[in-house]
Amino acid sequence: MIRPFAAAVVFLTGSLVAAPSLWEEYFEFEKIPMPQGVDPQIGGLDFLTDGRLAAVFHRGEAMIFDPKSKEWSLFGNGLQEPLGVVAEEDGSLVVMQRAELTRLRDVDGDGRADRYETLSADFGLTGNYHEFAFGPARGVDGHYYIALNVASNGASMRREIRGEFSEIGQLNREQMTEGQDWGKSAGKAGRMYSRVPWRGWVLRVASDGSKTEPWASGFRSPDGIGFDAKGRLLITDNQGDWRPTSPLYSVKQGGFHGHPASLVWEAGWDGRDPLRVPVTELAKRHHLPAGFFPQGELANSPTQPIVAAEGSVPESIVGQTLIGEMNQPTLVRVLDDEVGGVHQTGLVHFLDRSPLGNGNHRLAYGPDGSLYVGKTALSWAGNNGITRVKWKGKAMPLVASIQALSNGFEIGFSEPMDGASLGGVVIKRHTYHYHAGYGSPKVGEEAVKVNGAELREPTRLVLDCGPLKEGFLHLVDLSAVRTVGGKGLLGGKVWYHVVKAPVVK
Amino acid sequence: MKFSTALFFLVNFGRLSAQAPDGALLFNQNCAACHQLDQMIVGPSLVEMRALYQDKPADFVKWAIAPQKKRPNAIEMPSMAHLGEPALLAIHGYIMKAAEGAKEKKAAAGDRFAGSPTQAVRPLVMRIFMPDAGPASIAVALDSRVSFCWDAGPCRLRYVWTGGFVDGYAYWRGNGHGLAKPLAPVRYTEASPLLGDVAARFRGYNLDPKGFPTFRYQLGALEVSESYLPLEKETGFTRKFTFAVPVTDALALTFPDVPEKAGVRSDAGSWSGKVLTLPAGTTSFTLTHVFP
Repeated sequence: MIRPFAAAVVFLTGSLVAAPSLWEEYFEFEKIPMPQGVDPQIGGLDFLTDGRLAAVFHRGEAMIFDPKSKEWSLFGNGLQEPLGVVAEEDGSLVVMQRAELTRLRDVDGDGRADRYETLSADFGLTGNYHEFAFGPARGVDGHYYIALNVASNGASMRREIRGEFSEIGQLNREQMTEGQDWGKSAGKAGRMYSRVPWRGWVLRVASDGSKTEPWASGFRSPDGIGFDAKGRLLITDNQGDWRPTSPLYSVKQGGFHGHPASLVWEAGWDGRDPLRVPVTELAKRHHLPAGFFPQGELANSPTQPIVAAEGSVPESIVGQTLIGEMNQPTLVRVLDDEVGGVHQTGLVHFLDRSPLGNGNHRLAYGPDGSLYVGKTALSWAGNNGITRVKWKGKAMPLVASIQALSNGFEIGFSEPMDGASLGGVVIKRHTYHYHAGYGSPKVGEEAVKVNGAELREPTRLVLDCGPLKEGFLHLVDLSAVRTVGGKGLLGGKVWYHVVKAPVVK
Repeated sequence: MKFSTALFFLVNFGRLSAQAPDGALLFNQNCAACHQLDQMIVGPSLVEMRALYQDKPADFVKWAIAPQKKRPNAIEMPSMAHLGEPALLAIHGYIMKAAEGAKEKKAAAGDRFAGSPTQAVRPLVMRIFMPDAGPASIAVALDSRVSFCWDAGPCRLRYVWTGGFVDGYAYWRGNGHGLAKPLAPVRYTEASPLLGDVAARFRGYNLDPKGFPTFRYQLGALEVSESYLPLEKETGFTRKFTFAVPVTDALALTFPDVPEKAGVRSDAGSWSGKVLTLPAGTTSFTLTHVFP
């Protein structure tokens, strides 16, 4: 059944249909009581093998929550801006702090960490506030992966720094250092800068701390680091300079991921100021994002990826990646696709405008399949505390998959759809500027005519909209589409980044 | 203004709809992360912006296209040039309307978590940005009397103060865009590394059952541990250095002053002015620092 229709008419219809907030029918939301007197901004969450939850806090506490007794205990303290934690099998916690990756061990078994072991401090610090350190994510290889923020020209470097200073750039060390009239120099520092080693890089750290090695470059503010179900390393980054909107990277070992400041630390770098390298040269090397979160429409500050656990969501989406978001009241669900060996994704709202709210920073699954969401603001828009989200076990109407075709998309649904509602499908696309400016407008935005929409099976829709355009973010808007039972989709807009378009036969 | 208008025209040429931009939507998509109605978060509140830009839409647009650093304690706003003038005007309109009649909320007085039980623990070993030290510094409150800054970069004691620990609020509030402040004047400073200016590698620290720290590090080939315990009767501490293997050469430690004036004594070695010499073969020695 092919339904030709006029795209313009449907555009109007689509924009008038507001996605209903029906999440509470399928999920229950519970706020976890927080420890008295502790600043409840969460930097990291993970479950211990005994079923208790480990959390690290903005002001440096590492605390353990027992979901049975609902009580907190203090495991470690005095950590500096911890932004991630992994609980190891023996109960040790591996925590990313500003200055190092640290293992907290409880050797005497009294429930308090008594050894703080430095696994890696093999990276530089200028003392600039924006040099956050994210992770760790544990790979299937048993190594830890960490991601280092570049510094912001919102501030200078401090007089004392850790690590080698790179002379590459318009300002020398003295000019980069506190005590000058920074307002006059800031513009020459680069919006974000990497003047000490490995800022803007992902590093791989051996689990015994014996080795730290550079893994990938080109990052700006990579708050989200994790592995997907296939073992691919994912990183989310933030809109800003060289970031037209927040990207999702499927990280390539040795690859350059778009933000040039980090390149000065590349082996064999020729000493050029990355800001003076022609954009075309950078663009050529850029390992393109597998996905884009359109600013304002989907996410502004995406955070940690996690794999949706068995029993936590309907079977049709188990194993998909979920991503946190600080700014907007939503999570993001990732629909994986692969074209000619290139990992690319469709991104869709999840739990948007539900009682979950915003500030969603760190994610962990409890033994009962509950998703624990730790929140933070860190002086930006956000929230605090921890919310537990538990699936009620009931099926719900979802987009389960998206695949690029040579002349359109194939969409999979979690339940049978109503063919009569397919006239409401709208497709638009746009691209972005890749440039030193902060963010980018949508470029080349256009409506894409839907030539045909056909249910090949009750849950499988094929959309014919002609060849896809490489480098374009395609919005497939299914908001007006209904299930056989007349329900709208929970997350009806899919933003699919076409890095590689299937070959037209 | 000519330039930005032209820019906007180019940017929007291919857009789908010709309808007037929705100021509320644009605000929520592009500004709300940093600007709230009645309270400064990252940037000023809508109430304050209304006071600044009421009936001055052109000034507002000009600022949003080319913002500068204006407030010493705030970060500079990124340019919003990419939104274009009509969108910025719509945002201006929205802000003026949204803030009408609203009043600025008084900023919460001071630190809501100043009395946090986890911060009141003594001893407390806390990593935080400290003044006059490297960015990998550790602040240690040994007891209610003595605190010091130990720097995990060069792996050495930097300075000591007595009477109160630190106020870390400037650091926490600004995500590191501020330093912790010792609550009392510094009484002892080691301007240069006691064990010599050698490449250092920090290994971490242990806490004894009472929470007193032993820092572990490597100086060149030398594995060192440095343990701190408060004195019971006096204000001060002992500082015990242990080497994994006996040192092969004599060690000369230069202090900021002669021992009586620096308030230091040693259980080993011999003094000559400010210099304490420890013989080859030393595996351990303890310094006692007193602050009368």
